[in-house]
Amino acid sequence: MFFAEILNNLSFGMSVALTTTNLMFLLIGAIVGMIVGLFPGFGPAAGIAILIPLTFGLEPTTAIIMLSGIYYGSMYGGTITSILINTPGESATVASTLDGYPMAQQGRAGPALVMQAIASFVGGTLGVILICGFAPVLAQFASSFGPSEYFLIIMLGLLLLTTMMGDNKLNGIISALFGFAIAMVGVDSVSGAQRFTFGSPELISGIYFVPVAIGLFGIGELLYCIYTGQHKMEKDRVQFNFRSRDFWPTAKDYLTSKFTFIRGSIIGFIAGVLPGSGATIGSILAYSVEKKVAKDPERFGKGEMRGLVAPETANNAASAGAMVPLISLGIPGSGATAVLLGALMMWGLQPGPTLIDANPDLVWGLVASMYMGNMILVALSILAIPLFVKFLDIPYRLVVPVIIILCVIGAYALNNSIIETSMLLFMGLIGFGMKLYGYSPAATVLALVLGGMAESTFLQSLIISQGSLQIFVERPLSLALTLFMVGAIGLSLAFRAYKRYQAKRSN
Amino acid sequence: MSLFKQSLLKKVMVLPITAALLVSPFSVAKDLNYPTKNLKYTIAFGPGGGNDLMSRTVVEILKKYKFYKKNIRVDNLAGGSGAVGFNYVAQQAGNPYHLTSTSGNFLGTPLVSNTGWTYQDFTPIGLLAQDAMFIVVRADSQFASAKEFVEYAKNNRITIGGTGAAGPERVVASLFAEAAGFNYDYVPSQDSGGLITSLTSKSIDAIIANPSEVSGQIAAGNFRPLAYSEAQRSTIYKDVPTFKEQGYNFAFSLPRGVVMPSNVDKDIQQWWVETLKKVVNTPEWKDYLETNSLSGNTIWGDDFSDNLAATNADFKRILTQIGAIK
Repeated sequence: MFFAEILNNLSFGMSVALTTTNLMFLLIGAIVGMIVGLFPGFGPAAGIAILIPLTFGLEPTTAIIMLSGIYYGSMYGGTITSILINTPGESATVASTLDGYPMAQQGRAGPALVMQAIASFVGGTLGVILICGFAPVLAQFASSFGPSEYFLIIMLGLLLLTTMMGDNKLNGIISALFGFAIAMVGVDSVSGAQRFTFGSPELISGIYFVPVAIGLFGIGELLYCIYTGQHKMEKDRVQFNFRSRDFWPTAKDYLTSKFTFIRGSIIGFIAGVLPGSGATIGSILAYSVEKKVAKDPERFGKGEMRGLVAPETANNAASAGAMVPLISLGIPGSGATAVLLGALMMWGLQPGPTLIDANPDLVWGLVASMYMGNMILVALSILAIPLFVKFLDIPYRLVVPVIIILCVIGAYALNNSIIETSMLLFMGLIGFGMKLYGYSPAATVLALVLGGMAESTFLQSLIISQGSLQIFVERPLSLALTLFMVGAIGLSLAFRAYKRYQAKRSN
Repeated sequence: MSLFKQSLLKKVMVLPITAALLVSPFSVAKDLNYPTKNLKYTIAFGPGGGNDLMSRTVVEILKKYKFYKKNIRVDNLAGGSGAVGFNYVAQQAGNPYHLTSTSGNFLGTPLVSNTGWTYQDFTPIGLLAQDAMFIVVRADSQFASAKEFVEYAKNNRITIGGTGAAGPERVVASLFAEAAGFNYDYVPSQDSGGLITSLTSKSIDAIIANPSEVSGQIAAGNFRPLAYSEAQRSTIYKDVPTFKEQGYNFAFSLPRGVVMPSNVDKDIQQWWVETLKKVVNTPEWKDYLETNSLSGNTIWGDDFSDNLAATNADFKRILTQIGAIK
């Protein structure tokens, strides 16, 4: 039954979306999205907002198709910097640095980038199919999530951070606590009192993800490379073209990650449906599930293909999933979808539960265009890869100033804030130290993003329950999530005890 | 040779500009030869937000109908919740070629941080739209009117949600509780998505929200607005009664208006009041109000100052009460 519904909706959408004009603007949107994603710090929200005025002359459906193209196209471009220069442009691609960057360092940048494009395609496409089949059911699900449920989902994300911290768990936890400390800066989410802002208006809204992430990852990595003398090394020229065998992922890559594609997509999609930081939590969940089910978890973090495929399928499926609350409830799940929502209103459309019934051509046309957009994007990405890989050919001493300039522009352009720019450079120094002494920048930036949300949803829950923790077991959904979390911890402990027992016996 | 040519060229170009500079002050004083220069419209927030949208709509209309004869340059100067952009305009005291749009942060940001400017450092032109708030409950809840809500709240514990800890939503909730005489617990959400799901998931009893945030849910019959926080009914939602007419004597709305730097000639202020009155009568402006669910009741010139002062006083009092400022 669902299958018929999927086909019905998709074919109706195709009939709307398949016009020359729509396809042309879809192509423009996809290209702009990829480019926007490439620049760390310059995310899809800004890209969409800047291009909105250009769409005034267009039909609403065409315009929305193009703007959405920017939105999910940026998910393709965003990972490229994570892989090549270890710099995630947004929180959803932090997990992709863990295995993507080591692969590039091992000379497997080509396969990593190709696999990233394919994983994004699979995630995005499965996401679209899931929207067609389950949008109304999922919308219902998303609207029954209150503050207590959000807190538990975020806690689950934080709990799973431990799988991404590297080998030294103590260092990893210290890194995460550092992220929480940064998240403390800004207005207290309940009383409105200011914490650690020193009266400065720039700090009122807190310390933003971009300068911290670009500093810790991008600048930190550069400093570390200089410290280890990579700029003096003579590199072998990387010879890549479409015919070269090194360019494509091997059959083994596909075989080991065949289930990763499916797991990543489903996990990412479900996380994306929940408004909030869906794509980020989705990529963390997918990565840690993959590491948990793997027989060889010790390979993760050292350039394992599954460690790249999981977060990549997840964050693209999540960006499709985030369309569900947007089109069926009128609730934006992220900065970028909030701008899309604003655009819908500008054309006189009323986002909300009535949108699908009132404007079916727009909704299904948009969904069908996402299906085609993903095809365009996977082709575009693969065609562009030789260009990106060429980048690795440039002597490192020339690359360093270029990356630093890009990072500084990315941090400054966001809010025109010189404070954020100096913070970027300061975080760069800290990032260098973290790399040197084996701390985890991924844990820091993810704790920064999730910590603020966890605090605010926790306090909201406690205000609602008048300080009683019972709220986390009273509501059915909360209870399910709590049990799931307790079960996950319990299983993991039991599993470890069992392994230890076995090891003892075989001795 | 080439040096000489260059300096000659410079002289030729500079001459008319100097002449214009010499002439213009005289003509402004006489019969208001305004505008003679390009206008700079500063937006103190990033592209895509509410302030940006309003500013660009105003500029589009000024250009389309040629209300402003010279060119208009629009600049987004974001940072520090409006502190940077408004500060830039405040620095242009006496210069009649700068405009900027106000919104909630125009009052809020100076209250909570050291910005170096307040609303008093600007020349008010007009309040073009009112950004007021609804109190909204689930349609399946027991509350059919604000009165029933108050009756219940007087005898039971009640939770009201809003976006942000110390924003306008909290001010409206506090003013309502004060006027009606009940206690409530405020549940701050981080964004409008979280706010709406906190109500749909039955976590809280009511929310204070911008009409545009809940219009979809109201149209679908999921939410019910009980009262509206402007002094008069919204020009868009004519059937939602105000708090005032239901006997809760307060009004609060954020100023979506236009201001200039301080010390601008009275005549030029008046010129802009007349011009913006033409702007709000265009179909484009009415479309803007409609799509953004903003109410189109306007306030002009010095009345706008009084309105800003009153709103600011309410804002300051509630923020002090809840401990957000000292």
